[in-house]
Order: sequence, then C-alpha cells, then structure tokens
Amino acid sequence: MIELSPLARKQWQRFRSIKRGYYSAIVMAALLGVSCAAELLVNSRALIVSYQGEWYFPTYGAFLPGTTFGLDYDYETNYRELAARLIEEDRGDWVLLPIVPFDPFENDLQAGVYPPYAPSVAGGHFLGTDTTGRDVVARLLYGFRIAIAFALLLLACNYAIGIAIGCAMGFWGGAFDLLFQRLIEVWSNVPFLYVIMIIASVMVPNFWTLATVMVLFGWMSMTWYMRTSTYKEKAREYVMAARALGASNVRIIARHVLPNTISVIVTFIPFSIASGITALTALDYLGFGLPPPTPSWGELLDQGTANLDYPWIVSSVVIAMVVVLLMVTYIGEAIREAFDPKQFSYYE
Amino acid sequence: MPNRSTWLPCVVVLSLLGCAEPADRPTEVAVDEPLQSPVEPIRASGLPEHLPTDLIWQTNDTDPTFASPDALRGGTFRTWMLSFPLTLRRVGPDSNGSFAAYTRYIHMPLVGFHPVTGNLIPGLASHWAFDPDGKSVYYRLDPNARWSDGVPVTSADFVYTLGFMRSKEIVAPWYNNQYTAEVIDIKAYGDDVVAVEGVSAKPREELIANYQPWPMPAHFHKLSKNWVRDYNWRVEPNTGAYRISEVRKGKYVELERIDDWWANDYRYQRHRYNPDRIRVKVIRDVNVAFRHFLKGEIDTFTVVLPPLWHERAKGEDFDRGYINRYWYYNDVVQDPGGMFLNMDDPLLADRDVRIGIAYSLDFEYVNATVLRGDYERLETFNEGYGEYDNKMIVARRFDLDKANAHFTRAGFAERGVDGIRVRDSDGARLSFRVTYGAPPHTERLVVLKEQAKKAGLELVLELKDSASSFKQLQEKKHQIGWMTWAGQGISPTYWEFWHSVNAHKPQTNNIVNYDDPLMDELIDRFMASTDKAGRVRLAHEMEQLLHDSGAFVPSYKVPYTREAAWRWMKLPESLGTPKTEVLFNPLELSQAVYSSGGLFWIDVAEKQRTRDARDDGVPFEPVFIRNEDYR
Repeated sequence: MIELSPLARKQWQRFRSIKRGYYSAIVMAALLGVSCAAELLVNSRALIVSYQGEWYFPTYGAFLPGTTFGLDYDYETNYRELAARLIEEDRGDWVLLPIVPFDPFENDLQAGVYPPYAPSVAGGHFLGTDTTGRDVVARLLYGFRIAIAFALLLLACNYAIGIAIGCAMGFWGGAFDLLFQRLIEVWSNVPFLYVIMIIASVMVPNFWTLATVMVLFGWMSMTWYMRTSTYKEKAREYVMAARALGASNVRIIARHVLPNTISVIVTFIPFSIASGITALTALDYLGFGLPPPTPSWGELLDQGTANLDYPWIVSSVVIAMVVVLLMVTYIGEAIREAFDPKQFSYYE
Repeated sequence: MPNRSTWLPCVVVLSLLGCAEPADRPTEVAVDEPLQSPVEPIRASGLPEHLPTDLIWQTNDTDPTFASPDALRGGTFRTWMLSFPLTLRRVGPDSNGSFAAYTRYIHMPLVGFHPVTGNLIPGLASHWAFDPDGKSVYYRLDPNARWSDGVPVTSADFVYTLGFMRSKEIVAPWYNNQYTAEVIDIKAYGDDVVAVEGVSAKPREELIANYQPWPMPAHFHKLSKNWVRDYNWRVEPNTGAYRISEVRKGKYVELERIDDWWANDYRYQRHRYNPDRIRVKVIRDVNVAFRHFLKGEIDTFTVVLPPLWHERAKGEDFDRGYINRYWYYNDVVQDPGGMFLNMDDPLLADRDVRIGIAYSLDFEYVNATVLRGDYERLETFNEGYGEYDNKMIVARRFDLDKANAHFTRAGFAERGVDGIRVRDSDGARLSFRVTYGAPPHTERLVVLKEQAKKAGLELVLELKDSASSFKQLQEKKHQIGWMTWAGQGISPTYWEFWHSVNAHKPQTNNIVNYDDPLMDELIDRFMASTDKAGRVRLAHEMEQLLHDSGAFVPSYKVPYTREAAWRWMKLPESLGTPKTEVLFNPLELSQAVYSSGGLFWIDVAEKQRTRDARDDGVPFEPVFIRNEDYR
C-alpha cells in the first residue's frame, strides 16, 4: 500500500470537501467503468443463452451463426428474435439480453414505419433512434468510450512530450531554451484545422492518425508552463543542495523538480480531457473526424441539427455533452483548489 | 457526382454561346497586347469552299405545340440559389457553378429537340441540312435572330466562337479541347449560313447534340490576357427570352423578359417564358430557403427528397389549398449510379465475387426503410433512352443463397470469428473499401453494410470529400466506388466507361477497368454506326454484357420530380412534357437537350386572392396532383 505524504493526504481531504467536484469525479469514474464494460450493458449480443442444456456466452467470443440455435440462417444470430422465439416455444431455453439490446451499428428498421423512431420503452430504444434506425443510447455510450479514450491518449502523449521538453528548456536554459522557444512559436502558427482538412482529403482518417495529428499540434502549450515552473524550482536551495551532493541532472529533474511542479500538471489535466473530447466531437461534426459508421457524438450532433424535427437526437447528445463537460470542469475546479497552497494556510 | 467529362454531351450543346449587355463596361487598357497562340485543331478542315447546292434543307413546323394558350404574361418568379455566382461569364474559371444553369440557358440553341416527338425544332437556325459525309451540318440562321442588345446574330458570330474557344485567354481547357478535338471547323457561307464539322460521323441527332456550337457575340468580346478578369461581371448579350437586368452582389440576380423578343411568336416558343421577371435570391441554407417558401417569399420548391416530401411539405397551408403539390413522372435519362467494382483488384477480378456482392446488396430493403419506398431500382447502366434501353435485364436482387453459392465457388466458403467470410487457401477476408463522396448517402450505405454482413461480406465505408473521392476513382485506386455519373446525351454512351483503351490507366472514366475485346468491338461498331436500329441492337447486347460481368451494381433511379408551389403558380393541363425535369423551370432548357422549360405562368390576380384568403382563413380545395402519364 502506497503511503500518501502528509501533503498529498491534505490535498485529497480538501478535494473531498469540495462536494461538487468530488461527486463529479465519482460519477465520471463510474461512467468510465460503464463504458469499458459497454458490451455487457448495451449490445445486440446476448449475455447468456441457455439452449438445449448448453450455456453460451456470446458477448466477447466469436460470432455464433443462427444455425447454432436451430435457426435457418448462418449469419450472426439475432438474439432479440431468438429470445422471443424461445419464450414462445417454452421448452425451458432462455436468453439473457443486456439492458439495451442493440449495438451501435445495427439498423433496427421496420417496414412501413420510417426512422428516426421516437424514444419508447416498449421498443427498447430509450432515447429513440437516429435517421437510420440505430439506437441513440448505444451510439452515445460507444461514442463516449471512443471520445474519452481519445482524450486520455491525447493527454498522455501531449503531457509526456510537453513536460519533457518544457522541463529541459527550463532546466538547461540558454541556447537550447531559445531554440525551442522559436521552434514552438513557429510550429504553433501552423493552422491545425487546415492540416486536418488536407489529411482528410488525401486519406480517410482513423483513430490513430487523428490522434497523431492532434499530438503533433497539441504538445506545445504544456511546455510553456513546465518551462516557467522548472526555471523557478531550479533556482531553489534544495536543487542546489542536491547538486552539491552530486545528484545527476536526470535525478534532479525526476526526484526534485518534477514533484514540486506536479500541482501545475494536475490542475490542467481535467481541462485537457475536456478539450480532447470537444476536439474529436468538433472534427466529427465537421466531417473531418472518424469515418462512418463509427459511433460518435459529433456525427450525432450533425444528424440532430440537420433533423431538428426529431428533437430526441440533438437533445440526447447535447445534454450528454453538457453534463460530461460540466462534470469535468467541476473536477478541474476542485483539483485546482485542492492544490492551491495559498488557501487554508491559517493558524489554529 | 458531376464531372467535367461526363457533362460532355450537355455542356457541349449548351455552352458555346456568349452574350450580354454592355451594362458596366470597364475601361479597356493595353489594346495591342499580343495574344497567346491558340490551340490547333487536330486535323484540317474538310468543309467545301462554296456552299454545296445539293443540300436538302429541313425545318419543322408540323409537330404539336406543347405550351398552354391559357398562359398569362406577367408577375415576378421568385426563386433561390445556395450561393452567389463567382462570375457571370459562360466560360473560364468558376463558370461551371450552379448559376451556370442561368448563364447557359438564357441562350437559344441553333436547333432544339422537341420534348414530345424528339424531332429537331428550329432555334437560331430556321433550317438545317446534313452533309453526306455524316460529320457536317449546315445551318441557315433565322433572319430575325437578335442578340438582346438588338444586334442581329450572323454567321460571323459562329466563326468568332471557334477562334474564341480555341484561345488560351479564356482559360478553359475543356472548351479548348472541345473546339479542336471534337469540332474541327466552323465556316460561314454568307451572313446567314454556317457549317459545322465534327471529328467523326454520327447519327444525325447525335451530330446536332454533340457538335452544335452556340454563338459568342463577336461585337461584345475583345480577347486580351485580362479577359477572364475584365469580363467577370459583365453581362453578355444573349439570344433567349430573358436577359440579366440587375446584379446585386451577394444578394440576388434579376432577369427580365425581353418584351419584343425575336422568337415571341414562333411555333414552339409561343406562350412560354411568361413571368416578366425572375429573381434568383441567395439563401445559403436549404432549410432556411424552405422557410422562405412557406412564408410565400419563394414561389416554388423542389421537394424530391423523401424527408422533405413526407415531413416538411405538409401542414395548414397545404391542407387549406394555398400550396399545391405535384408528383410528376417523367421519361428522362436516369443518371447511372451505384457500385463500381474495380476489376483490377485481385479479389474483385473474380466474377463470382462480383456477382456474390451484387446478391449481397439489399437495395430493396434500403428503399423500403430509410428511403421510404420513394425510389425505384435502377436495372441497367443506361436507362431512359427509349428504345436503347434493354428492358429484359433485371438487376440482381438481395439473395443470400445465391450470394453464398457464388462466394463459395470463389473459395469463400467459411466465415471467420466476426462472421465475415475468409478464403481457405490464403486467409483473405471478404472485405472491401467503398469509396464515396456524398455524405447524405451514408444513410443508405450503413444499411447496405449491415445487410451485407449477413452474406459474410464486409463493406468498409470510406467517405471523402467529393472531389478527392472522385479523384481516387479516376486514379483507379479504389476497390468499390459508390457514385453517380451526371450528364446525359440523347443516346447511351459506352466508350468512355467501358472501352479497354480507357482501362488500367488513371484519369479516365472506365473506373472499373473493364477490359473485354468483345465489348470493344461492339463499342467501335456502335460509334461507327449511323443506323439507329443497328445501334439499338448493339446497345442491348452491350447492356447484357455489362450485366453479366457484374462490374456495376445499379442502385436507384428517381423517375419523377416532386414540387410544391403556391396556388398562383399555374401549369398547363398536362403539367409538363415527357422530358420535363423540373416543372417550374423558367428557361428553355435544363440539363438535357430537350426544349421543355418555361411552360408555367403566374396568375397575379390569383396571387392577391390567395393572400387575402389566407389572411382571412378562407380555405380552398387542397391540390395534390400525381401524374403518371409518362411513367
């Protein structure tokens, strides 16, 4: 068990005392957990099928053709139909379906009634469907998973690069610092959106190419903060002491400087996540993001604004987006307050 | 997806005119600048020195008329466009935007096509004669033909056109090519006769459709190296019933009816082009434009798209008879759209794979669901050409058993863990990229994709912007291309799409790399033949070959137009002609070569009555007309 330092424990306590941020953090963590296990909650594949004495767990394995369950087709079993059929046959076989028995790609279409279908509990589409009959809940949840994964990946890469370069600039200063300052200034003037548009016109962007491009243009902002904090810390006595004891540069940065700049890094994290989510959503909305039919909030937003007559599409995604971004902001606020050394420094 | 080369037939016919009114002449500088040397024709002229005396001059004053004698002149037709044109020029950079429909079609063709009988009808030329060589046509100009500034149209204007279109100053490579590689020579015989020689012999209608030049007003244009810039906003004199009268940049363009238009009382022009004015307003969003229509600020609205027709074009104004709805089936060429399978791809080279794919695509299901059953299945590549259509062919319908049989024969018998077929021999997956450039089509493709999974076929959708998607297809770098060719002539085109000289190389329209000696032979015979019956037989044979190859999977056709119009907008009893593409088209032509527009009129008194009734809440009998005369 890691022993928290007294300072860290104090910060944690402060964070917990800011209720808004604390509960937001819990909800966000829960959402993350839910989205990781999305296949168990929102999926067209059944969780368990008990058929003729045998048990099947279709969720994660290979596809099971309809013939497995005595149906007359060899493509993937439609478990919703299977469930209805087994109940009808009443031979003790059963199917356990997820809460929302639709996956984000399938079109649940009925002849004679045209999508989008309005939200209905009976139809199983709790937030309705989009214009091709795909379940909005499924699109939202899987879209969230992709967006948050994208944001976290972006965060990790941007921070790794930004912190490394920023620290180096601050620590060594001089020509190295100057060179990188100019380099970053030049680089940050490349219009990012144009680059994305050009890339989207030559190739179909996927998750990794988009992430690469975003990292390529996103690592710069962190360098400035790290550079300043490192400059500040470098001049402190403890760094001099460490140096006098013969510590190497790497050790000084890793063991002494970085831990003392951690508050800068931590306070930025939630906002970086928020910007990662909005960036992907915006790109998808503009049509430069992930290719169809990838579930995505931006694509839903686009559909929703083009089909305002079907308000459930646009309202679902807008509400989801506002709630998530609000929670992230609350968390960020709470962290900042928790790490702010100026407050709470009173005598008892 | 519009593409320059596929527009060939219609653009050729429609874009050789020039004209305008000296409204805002810029001061001209540098008079004696040398011009660049023009593009040279590919071979020397074969036109005779003197006008042959044995020509058989033809005209047409016996076909039925198709405009309504009840038509009333007057009123302003208010319509809209998505963006303001970048130029008013007919040729040169930016001249192929949507406003080209106006800049081109306010010009009269030399000879038109009757929309009911398909026969030739007089235009700028009152008479025409065909040279026995099968390549040249002689036109006798109508002595009354006038530019909109009153200057007579003479043969000199046509000769000027040739030099104009060959010049590099107009910055129009397509026209440079058209007037050197396709039109070999234009020659004047006196003031009133002009001859046009094409590059190869064709049936007579094709000669007219492919080689007919439109005159450029010689008295208006002065070529210089600044021509593109200097003439960008100048209104060229024209020969049709309307002229551009007012241009408010970024806001609207207004056209006015020429009161004493020279062809006013001509047999096929009488009672047409009835509104006094046409105002084309910029509204930058379709939804906003529809709101304008519902408020009565726009007179008509095209509502072909299923959501518009079913969801938007209804409500009180429709139920109370203030806005009428029309569903009009026409008999026009259907743009060939669907999946183009690249036969140079190692998997798609196998015919069984291609046929299997055709059986795995459930177009009927897509139509019955997301398209609301409004569309119809396209059965063959070329459709809507009358006798040329091979009506025996039925496109392959979704059939899992047949798909299975073909895929199995191609070695794809087993399915992988994700349900997609894999080939036993080398583990290849039955998965293909579908490249397309029309975002609204995603709806159709995602449903096709999900249905195709049932057959063990994976379609990976690759949406690009329309230009780069088309480029990829032209470079033959796709596996499956989803697109529609636009542009149409009066008979089917095969050479550019299916001849092996266009296969296996970039930047041609044979995007499936179709390469079959038998097809080549048929195409060559088709192009050389001037006998219609023979050409029809060949077309049927070629269509069958295409169907058998499975290289093209046809998707949909929309053999009708659907329009909503306020009560005061009146149409003839028949609504339109078989060749009517848009009921409320104010100009003579639209995409096709048939003279079918300008038939409606505005009942100004009715307009006031409708407005009063609407204010007072007095309803009329609602009007919904579904016309299937030409289905």
